[in-house]
Amino acid sequence: MAVTEAPASSVLAVDETAPAPARKWLRSLAIGLPAGLLVLIFGACFVLPLVAPIPKPTGGDVLSSSLPPFSPGHLLGTDPNGNDIFSRILYGGRSSLIVAISVNLLGLALGGSLGALSAHFGGAVDTIIMRVLDVFIAFPSLVLTLAVAQSLGPSQRNTIFALAFFSIPAFARISRAATLRLREQPFMVAAKLSGTSTWRILVRHIAPNIGPQLMTFAMLGMGIIMIIEGALSFLGLGIPPPAPSWGNMIAQGQLSLSATPLLVVWPSLALFLTVIGFNQLGEALRARWSGR
Amino acid sequence: MLGSPSLRLVGKRLLMAVPIVLGVSILTFWVLNLIPGNAAQQLLGPEASPDQIQQLEEEMGLNRPQVVRYLDWLGGAVHGDLGTSLVSRQPVTDELGPRLAVSGEVVGLAFLISLGLAIPVSLLAARWPNRMLDRISMVVSTTGLSVANYVFALLLVLLFAVQLAWFPAIGYTPLSESVTGNLRSLALPAIAIAFPLFCFYTRFLRSDLVDQMQGEDYIMTARAKGIGPWQVLLRHAFRNSAFGLITIVGLNLSTLIGATVIIEQIFALPGIGQMLLQAINTRDFIVVQACVIVFAIITVLANLLADLLYAVLDPRIRYGSN
Repeated sequence: MAVTEAPASSVLAVDETAPAPARKWLRSLAIGLPAGLLVLIFGACFVLPLVAPIPKPTGGDVLSSSLPPFSPGHLLGTDPNGNDIFSRILYGGRSSLIVAISVNLLGLALGGSLGALSAHFGGAVDTIIMRVLDVFIAFPSLVLTLAVAQSLGPSQRNTIFALAFFSIPAFARISRAATLRLREQPFMVAAKLSGTSTWRILVRHIAPNIGPQLMTFAMLGMGIIMIIEGALSFLGLGIPPPAPSWGNMIAQGQLSLSATPLLVVWPSLALFLTVIGFNQLGEALRARWSGR
Repeated sequence: MLGSPSLRLVGKRLLMAVPIVLGVSILTFWVLNLIPGNAAQQLLGPEASPDQIQQLEEEMGLNRPQVVRYLDWLGGAVHGDLGTSLVSRQPVTDELGPRLAVSGEVVGLAFLISLGLAIPVSLLAARWPNRMLDRISMVVSTTGLSVANYVFALLLVLLFAVQLAWFPAIGYTPLSESVTGNLRSLALPAIAIAFPLFCFYTRFLRSDLVDQMQGEDYIMTARAKGIGPWQVLLRHAFRNSAFGLITIVGLNLSTLIGATVIIEQIFALPGIGQMLLQAINTRDFIVVQACVIVFAIITVLANLLADLLYAVLDPRIRYGSN
């Protein structure tokens, strides 16, 4: 189709203006930069508290409450409860990242296989699965998440369950569309005609081909889930305080927004950097995979 | 005018929407019934005796089987009766109206702002790709998409309400009270909702326009005929990109509903999002159910409207070819 060729030619047209090594360098930079940022963030959240003398994120001393940034022992100061803000950012990021990774893995595994199976078998199975997914997609996702989170009670595990409710249909859609596009490919027809088992087709032919697309979506999904997890915690239905999460830190900071805006700024900045890292990495991977 | 094929298309879409809305209502009913502890317990408080709870359950009809209760609710809903709030004991539909108006106004303003900015900005960016304005708009929209709307809302409050005091930080002034007061009270929430939308639309529209301007045959033809670049951009490329934009705007509406819940909470606006959050926290299932159904219907109708606009804009669909 002419439409699908148009972007490819436009990419070429733009690329001709840059010399080849510079283009390559820019491309690897587009992936390397966000990937490096994410490695830093993961390292800070998961490794730094183990190796550096970071204070505990909870149970702070009221005597040392609301200290300004760069106070001795408290890089970003302390919050009104006397907890070290830097430490809360690290531990909060840890729980947000765990939620986002779990939700995306659930979506990738369950939604991805559901979509692929649905597209592969077609017919009534496909129709039923797609109708059910349509319902989930018409369902205002945050509303469902709020209801589930409230009914299960706020906790990290329940936040994961609640968010998985809408990552699964999203992944299923993507994987179904990708699988459908594969169906007419010569190697798929050949595999079917040569009597390859359904299982083998799914694992050896479909999965490796839709994998890149699903992974790209998972990167963008990480950003989306981090933001929604923050929203849940912000509304008091996610990770319950005193345990830190970026969302509940922002909510807590909102109470004294005019007096101490930094309480909102730090977790917001952390959330922003993480989300932009995932988004940019997803975009760069997409450009790389679609450009070939 | 619409020919009969497009009318048939709308009819078909409406029929397809019915099972989706039904499915949503069943799903909500089921999820809400999974919640441990029912409304009777919630209303009577923790020190109520089991007898009292049982009595109230019977009074409210909560002891009947789930299917019966669902069908009962559905029967009322079809007649426009969405039940009585368990907490305020008022008919839900009475409360829905004014709240929908508030949310509708915020969302409407947000659409106006986001589309009103995104369309000219992307047209200018696509007219001179990779130039200053294009670069700036790309950086802003890429960055903006990574900012959570609640973070952006708080930044707005910090800057325009706390520092500059141009707008009130929270609260709502009804339109009947004062028009300027109303707009002032809705300005920050509308901008908070509009900004991510603006980023999203700009990114989409700009890249779609640029792709077309560089690759499509009919653009080449138009240019070769000697039509000016603006004319080609507006009459040929933009008309085509409008389809994608309409789909995206239609699909966005369900994400927007999520946004209203948070934004109305931050700005203390008496909209439907706030109503829903309150109902979820007080476990007022009837109200939650009503809000969810309203949301689902709006989402489905928005997609239907997008299809309808397609039919109006695209002669191939209008005349039912294919």
